[in-house]
This record gives sequence, C-alpha cells and structure tokens, in this order.
Amino acid sequence: MSSAALRGVRVIELAEVWAGPMGCTLLADLGADVVKLETFPRSSMTRPVVADARVGAGTGPPYERVNVHHHANRNKRNIAVDVRSEDGAEVLRRLIAGADLLVESFSAGTLERLGFGWEAVHAIQPRTSLISLAAWGQDGPYRGYRMFGSGLDAMVGHHLVRGHPGAPLEETAPAVHSDAAVPLTVVFAAVAALALRDRSGEGSWIDLAQVEDLAWQLPAIVGEWVASGRSPPRVANGDRDLVPHDYYPAAGGGWICVAAEDDAQWAGLAEAMGRPGLAAEPHPWASVLGRRRARAEVDAAVGAFVRDLPAAEAAERIQRHGAVAAPVLGAAGPLESPQLRARGWLRSIGHPHLGRREVGGFLWQMEPDPPTWERSAALLGEHNEEVLGELGYSAAEIARLAASGAIGDRYRAPA
Amino acid sequence: MGRARASGDTAGGPPFAGLRVVELGGAVPSAAATKRFSDLGAEVVKVEPPGGAPLRRLRPFPEDRPGLDRGAFHLALDTGKRSLLLDLGTGSGREVLGRLAAGSDLLVSDLPAAQARRLRPRLEEGESGPSTVWITPHGLEGPFAGRRENDASLFGWSTRAFNQRLPDAPDRGPLRYAPFLAEVQVGATAAAAAAAAVWGRRQDGLRRVVDLSAVEALAGNVDSAFFLYALTGTAETYPRPADLGARTYACRDGHVLMLQVDRDPARSRVRALVGAAGSGPARGPSVEEALRSWLAARTKQEAFVSLQRAGVIAAPILDASELLSDPQATARGSYVRIPHPALGETTIAGPPFRVASGAGAPWEARPAPGPGADTAALLTELGYAPEEQIALARAGVAP
Repeated sequence: MSSAALRGVRVIELAEVWAGPMGCTLLADLGADVVKLETFPRSSMTRPVVADARVGAGTGPPYERVNVHHHANRNKRNIAVDVRSEDGAEVLRRLIAGADLLVESFSAGTLERLGFGWEAVHAIQPRTSLISLAAWGQDGPYRGYRMFGSGLDAMVGHHLVRGHPGAPLEETAPAVHSDAAVPLTVVFAAVAALALRDRSGEGSWIDLAQVEDLAWQLPAIVGEWVASGRSPPRVANGDRDLVPHDYYPAAGGGWICVAAEDDAQWAGLAEAMGRPGLAAEPHPWASVLGRRRARAEVDAAVGAFVRDLPAAEAAERIQRHGAVAAPVLGAAGPLESPQLRARGWLRSIGHPHLGRREVGGFLWQMEPDPPTWERSAALLGEHNEEVLGELGYSAAEIARLAASGAIGDRYRAPA
Repeated sequence: MGRARASGDTAGGPPFAGLRVVELGGAVPSAAATKRFSDLGAEVVKVEPPGGAPLRRLRPFPEDRPGLDRGAFHLALDTGKRSLLLDLGTGSGREVLGRLAAGSDLLVSDLPAAQARRLRPRLEEGESGPSTVWITPHGLEGPFAGRRENDASLFGWSTRAFNQRLPDAPDRGPLRYAPFLAEVQVGATAAAAAAAAVWGRRQDGLRRVVDLSAVEALAGNVDSAFFLYALTGTAETYPRPADLGARTYACRDGHVLMLQVDRDPARSRVRALVGAAGSGPARGPSVEEALRSWLAARTKQEAFVSLQRAGVIAAPILDASELLSDPQATARGSYVRIPHPALGETTIAGPPFRVASGAGAPWEARPAPGPGADTAALLTELGYAPEEQIALARAGVAP
C-alpha cells in the first residue's frame, strides 16, 4: 500500500525551481494527487532547452533529463498550459474548481495579473486554499521583489555567520537552504489549511514568505543580538563550547567530522586514538575547560589520528568508542553507505529518457503506508489528455487546444 | 483537530486546537518539530529528564549567563509548551509516560534509537495510542542505528558540507551552515510527516509510525549533491556560485549579493542602471567597473532597492541588528516580542506562514516554560492522586 495520509487531497502546482515543486512532491509522497501545471510555451528555469552540466545522458530533449527538475518532481502528473491564453486560463479555472490546494511561487502580484489572485481563486471554488510562496510575502515595501534561496540567506543573517573566520565575505559560497526548508513548511501549511477548512468550510490564503520561514530556524542570530547586542561570530565547523568539534582531513583527500559532545565522549575518542591518558584525570584535557584552553593542540592530536585513515574507517573506529564521527560525504557518498542500502533508501527508478538510475529516496519512512516511487518526473505535458479529459474536455477539444498552442508537450529551442 | 476533542469548542481557533502532542528527547529536532504544532494551537507536553532538556543548554544566553530557562534556542523553540519532568530510566517514569501518551494524538521523539526501541511497545500498543514520529540519526534499525551524531556530522552525511566547500580553495575543506540549522531542518521534516499523519488518521483512523532518519531527511532533500551525481554522473558541487550567477559586491556600508548578474536580462538591466557605456558584446569589464563604482557610492539598502526596482535579483547581506530593523520585516512584523516570566521580554521570529485571507489561524508564540513548570498540574490532569504524586516524587520520577 502506498502512502494514504493525504489520499483524496487534490493539489495544483504552479511553481518553478525547487521550493514549490519539492513541497508538492512531498504532498504527493504522502498520497495527494498533484497536477504540476508547467509553464508553457516559455520553459521553466529548471527545464533548459539546451543541454548544460545538470543534464544527464540519455535520449530525448535536454529539459526532460535535468537533475534539478527530476529531484523535485516525482509522483506528479504533468500538464503544460499557456495560462496567458484564454483557453489555457479556462483549463486552470476548471482545475481550481476541483482542487483542495493551489501552490504558487510567483513573486507577489504576478498570479493576480494572470487573473488568478486570491479573490478570483476563492470565487471559482470557495473550498480551495491558495499557498503563496513569494520570497518576502504578499505585502510590505518589498512586495513584488524577486529572489532565490541564496539571497534570502543573506537577508536573515545566515550568510554572515557562515564561513571561515577571517575569510573575505566574497568567498562565502551561496547557500540554498530555503529551497530545502520551504517544502517542509508547504506540507505543514497545507495540512493547517485543510484543518481550518474542516471547521469553516472555506479555503484560506496562506502567505508563506520564504524569508520568514527561514527566520524561525536561526534563533541564535537574533537571540545573540537581543541578549548581548552582538552578532554571533563565524565558527566555521567548530563549536564555541565543545572541543574537539571540526571537519578534519582524512586519507585519500577525504574529510571526517569528529566531535566530543561531553567528557565521556572525549574519553571514548581518546581510547579510539590509542591515547586513553588524554582523558584520564588529572590530565587537563579530561575537562572541557582544559580542551577549550588547548583547542589547537587537541585539534592537532585528533587531526594526526585521522589523517592517514580513510574517513569511513576512522569514523567506524571512533563510533565504536562512543564519540561522534562521520565521513563528510561527497556527491557519490550515499552509494557507499551500508545503512542507506540496508534501509532500502537507495532505489532504482526508471525513466523513458534516462533509463534506470539509482537515486536517493524519501525523507521519512512511514508505517503502515510507506511512501512509494509511483512515477518519476513526468514528461512535459505527459498527462494533458488524461487530466483535461477528467476536466470534461473531449478529444476534439483537446486537439484544438494543442493546435492553438494553449497546451503543448514540447519546448522549442531558441532559434 | 485532535481525536479526543475534535469537535465543538474549537471553531474559529487555530488549526491544531485540541490536538495533544508529546515531545520526548528535547534536543533541537523534536523541539523544532513540536513548536510548529504548539504555535498553531496544539497542547504540547515537553517531557524532560530531571536535569532539563538538552535544548535548554544551548547558547546564546542573555548577558552570557547560562540558565535552563534563558537560552535562545529554548526561548524560541519551546514556545507555548508545557513542561513535565520525568525520569524515563525508571519504571515509574515510564508508567506516567504511558498514561500521558495514551491520551495524546501524536508523539515526537528524538531519543536515541536504542531507547526509542525499548519504549515503542508500550507507547504503540493497540490501535488507540498516538501516532509516533521517531527522529534518530540513522533510523531505528540497521548497521548504523547505534551511532551518535550531532548537527555537524549529520551535515557531513548529507553531502551538503561537501557542497559548501569552495571550488577555488579546496584546502579550506567542507563547510557547514550555522550551528543547529541542519537539526532544525530535521525537525521541520518531522513536523511535515507528523502533520500528514495527524490528518490521515482523522480521515482513515490509521495510527501511523514514522521512522525518520536525519541522514535520509537531509540527503534526500533538493540541495543534496547526490541526486546530481545519480543523474549525471558528475561529482561536481552544485549549485556553484557560477551556476547561480551569484556575486558579492561591496557597497558603502557593507555588501550585496546579486544573482544571475552574468546573464540577460539582468546583465542589460544592470548596464542601463549603472550607466555603462556601449551596449555591444565584450563590454563586460566596463559594466563590471561601472557597477562597482555605482555600488560603492550607495548603501546596501539603497543599492538593493534600486536593483530590485530595475528587475535585478539582489539582496543586502544583513547582520542581526539590521535584519530586525529591515523595512520589510518591520512592516510585516517578521520578528515579535513576547513576554517571558524570568526575562521580562524576549524577541523571536514570528510566524513562518500566515493566513492572509479566509478563516483565521492565529499563530501565537506563548512563553517557553521553565523546567517542570507544569509537572504537578499535568500529573493531576492525568488522574494521579496527591498521595501518588508524593510517591512519584519520592521515587525521583517527577520532582
């Protein structure tokens, strides 16, 4: 049995890139029926018509083989509709009439200009909820401004606290945490909207400002300012209280995370290093205070131990003695994890243009109805006929919409 | 939307009014997960060991003075919860937990896997107990189930530390995000699964068990490097600054981050804005120079607003004081002051989403409880007579 937690919940996705699409994939993983309404005839940012580094080898057009598209679009049906055309807008109206949720990630005001603002959605179907993911929300002086994840990271103070102490700010790599975090909030907000409708009978308009969804996740940044009038210092991979706590170079160009969360873990780590005396009182390093005073020396001792060992092997040895240790996995790392394999997290999926690939799985396991990979990222417009058929369109009408360009199933490369 | 009090007195209230939630473990993930429910009306009981939950020990603290009811993580993530001190190492403590759980809709735990496995039979007996969410580093079973991890090591497992290394400075090595952000993400993942489980049970009556591996929750999300590798065979970092067209520029008083600045339409918009000469190709350097001097003459806020109005994706790089006074944050109330019994007042982030129109869903962050603040009241509500409460206290279970 596949996941049924959200069975019967009908979702329309009008979203590009990552945050919105991944949120809808999670809803689909949980059993919702998600129809992705893909932008057409313009291709979405994660659907390049010319192959680039994100495109996997295979057959068919490049936009069907893009990593960033595949990752965030499993378990959905796909229709490609030009909602700027009158015929396309009618398709969207009929979809909304039968939907529980509409998820959109345009900048504030765009959906309204397309004729599908909250008032219009509510008029079409009072039971439908609209979840809007504009970066800064639906009101305020930045209404309509555009942004992606890494800029939001800068706005909530995270960009400044990441990075190596003393390194120039220009060196801090952009982070796209909101792209991973917002999808989780989309699921939570969706259930909240369903629960509210259960009582009132009416849908809600959820204003999910991505910047505000980031803010609550970083309590130390505001907390430090409010408590002490300063910003938290950059600590890179260290911890202000715990020593050791860092990523250390291991054999073969790998890296390993090693940490002692308390004195007992330090004793275990010292044991694993073959130097139990470093944790035996009255050795000063037996106390966190002694380790903090000798941070560089402790780091050097740990570093010397792991330097000539493969990261996975060093982690195994240290874990056996009860301290924190983990290989810093590279892109292919999950394939080597016996744990991920034993749990069935890695799974082989098929795709008409990519063939079979071994990919990463779901964010959770659930019983008695675990998530299942019912379908890989659907092809552009793959379900035009199926979905429009359900909306009451005849085969002849669908053919007419295709001929007029209101719907389609391929993007054209620029001339 | 709890089963016990699903109807009647909750009309018009927040979406999770009437839902009863138990939090076990009290590290960042479980606290973050249950906060989402608490702020939207659920009753969350935070079951803490007699020494207080681990979350309470995390800095920063006001005036750098530590205390179990003063830490920023506790103040922000424990909002509106009730606190029950229980020693789960004793049979007496587990008996109280069993009774508490039996009357609840949802239980979210980040206890170690071995402890979770021992508690499960008691808490998941029959069909009437709570749906459960077990957050562990590697899952409840498997060869690594007994491993200890922390925020930094989970980030290492997720492939994202690798993704954050600098392509041009490999010896600087991998880099993580701000402390505990990965663990908050694990908690938010748990909250998503938990919310769906709560909804599902309301529809089909099924009690669900979620086995949430923090490594899987992080490595399976969109910013993992693994999926790119799986599809393309490339072990490159993605997205690199070049993929995003991301550049950091100095302004008069700090920096702005600009995206897609190396491509059209942003490139030509920038050219028009900063008044660079010429419009033909190969004039890149002069546009870059003109942009730099244009930015150097402006504050980051001025530059940000001008760039956005010209259709260029840009953001100022803000520190804590600046984000609290940011015009958008101020206009929307993105940060809120809430009263606190010991500190008088504290400032935390406001709602992660709000209801712009429709049936109201008042998000409310109420003060975080002191350790054990609700022990006596909860024991009474659970039906323990005064005599029994004294016996429990004597046993060291609920001091």
